[in-house]
Amino acid sequence: MHLIETVHLSFAYRDSVRALDDVNFLAPRNLRIAVIGPNGAGKSTLFKHLNGIALAQEGKVLVRGEPITKKNLKEVRKFVGVVFQNPDDQIFAPTVEQDVAFGPTNLGLDEATVMHRVDEALGLLGIEYLRHRAPHHLSGGEKKRVAIAGVLAMEPEVLVMDEPTAGLDPRGRDDLVGFVNSLSSRFGMTVIFSTHDLDLVTAMADYIYVMDQGRILAQGTVQEIFEQEEMLRRIRLDVPVIPKLCRALRRRGAPVPIAYTAEEAEEGLAAVLSLPRRP
Amino acid sequence: MIEDLFEIERLAYGDSPVHRLDARVKIVIAFGAIIALVAYPVHGSVYLFAGVMGALLVALLLASRVPLRTFLLRVGAILPFGLSILVFQVLFPPVAFASPTVLLALPLGVEITAEALAKAAMIGVRFVLCIGFIVLLSSTTRLQDLLTGARRLGFPSEFTLILGMMARYLFVFGQMFVRVMNALATRCFDPLDRSLPYGYRLRQTGYTIGTMFLRSYEQGERTYTAMLCRGYGRDAYLFVPKKPLSRGDWTVLAACMAVVCVGPVAVFLFSTLPG
Repeated sequence: MHLIETVHLSFAYRDSVRALDDVNFLAPRNLRIAVIGPNGAGKSTLFKHLNGIALAQEGKVLVRGEPITKKNLKEVRKFVGVVFQNPDDQIFAPTVEQDVAFGPTNLGLDEATVMHRVDEALGLLGIEYLRHRAPHHLSGGEKKRVAIAGVLAMEPEVLVMDEPTAGLDPRGRDDLVGFVNSLSSRFGMTVIFSTHDLDLVTAMADYIYVMDQGRILAQGTVQEIFEQEEMLRRIRLDVPVIPKLCRALRRRGAPVPIAYTAEEAEEGLAAVLSLPRRP
Repeated sequence: MIEDLFEIERLAYGDSPVHRLDARVKIVIAFGAIIALVAYPVHGSVYLFAGVMGALLVALLLASRVPLRTFLLRVGAILPFGLSILVFQVLFPPVAFASPTVLLALPLGVEITAEALAKAAMIGVRFVLCIGFIVLLSSTTRLQDLLTGARRLGFPSEFTLILGMMARYLFVFGQMFVRVMNALATRCFDPLDRSLPYGYRLRQTGYTIGTMFLRSYEQGERTYTAMLCRGYGRDAYLFVPKKPLSRGDWTVLAACMAVVCVGPVAVFLFSTLPG
């Protein structure tokens, strides 16, 4: 049984644009899944179905094998946490602490448990010092972390993030990558995210779904997907810069292995150039 | 419910002889009809005149192919505002009648008289028709066309610019509202969830409304700065190119305005002539 599964899921908005068309999506335990695709591919619409914000018009959405119904909606939303692209949509309480406490309180937990969860979530993201600050005085990166803390405080087993690095500076982006990867490695969480930043995919995903015009065009490991350069170009995407560079070098005769991260590329090039190992 | 906001303009994007008319023609006909209806004297013949205007409205409505149900629903949504005026008209007539026929005497000296009821009915029928013309105008003309049409008719650009921005931000606000509601639902908040304390729900709803205002204000500031960057100032106006009316536009305008102008005079003279 998978944590989340959509079976032949289709959805059309009222203006009859088919936003999702026969989508079969699987999210097993402890996997980092990237959903990539051009603007309007249906990524956000798919995410809205994963925690019952939108309900399936055709097909099914199964969470732990059970379809989402009005009865289990609360349970589903506790299980699947969604972090929205714009943290301003999500953060609304007068202080960071109150905002992070919002989710657990709605689950009906007692005050001591709520406070414990708030401490844990703030600690995980390293933002204890923001506890009593007003959200509208925070920077973009801080708001993003508060938004994630607000969802993590509900202790979901699946974390869904829409464009998690949008509007973050390079340091903020690296911090986020490290943090999300730790959620997977330390807590065995399943992380699903959408992005246009393909370098983020290589740094943060085990498995990729490629969407276009509401359909799943391709799925596979990072390597399997980024080998299909032609297909990615056709839907206005590209291959991340490191594998692209490796392939270009190989075409010119350099025996460089295809790498996806900066570290892999460094190792590969060092071997080709017979450089000494890193101290 | 808020999703309906995005649907409201769908009808106006339809295609029919009325949709295709220039916005100026529709604005002039609608306002001409309203002025004629309002200006008609309080006289028994008002029903005959209402019949004439009603026939014009029905003819235009049929030509526009606007679904009757939607049309009636939209008129119905505005009716309560007019009904409150009518209730006041009946209970507290602004003008005392010479020899009122009391139908019902209520406490505190309030009386319902046959004369006040008759007058309220005359106002009521005109009110419904006026709303009918406005709903027909809004159901067959896109908001942007309405503003452009108003501008071409010489409506001050300050008004059209502000109305245009208001419409734009109504939709921005609507989308923001949907996103905030989704974010609340994601963290399991439902203002009607009885398992949560009443005070808590009230407080959180208050915070949400407060945040929406804050965000609207911030959005307004950002947009205003962006407008300034593009040279917005006292003399700014929306660009409206000139466009002559087609022959068809002129024909429909002339025909409808003939009914609107000649109709009330003819009906009044016909019903007041001796013999």
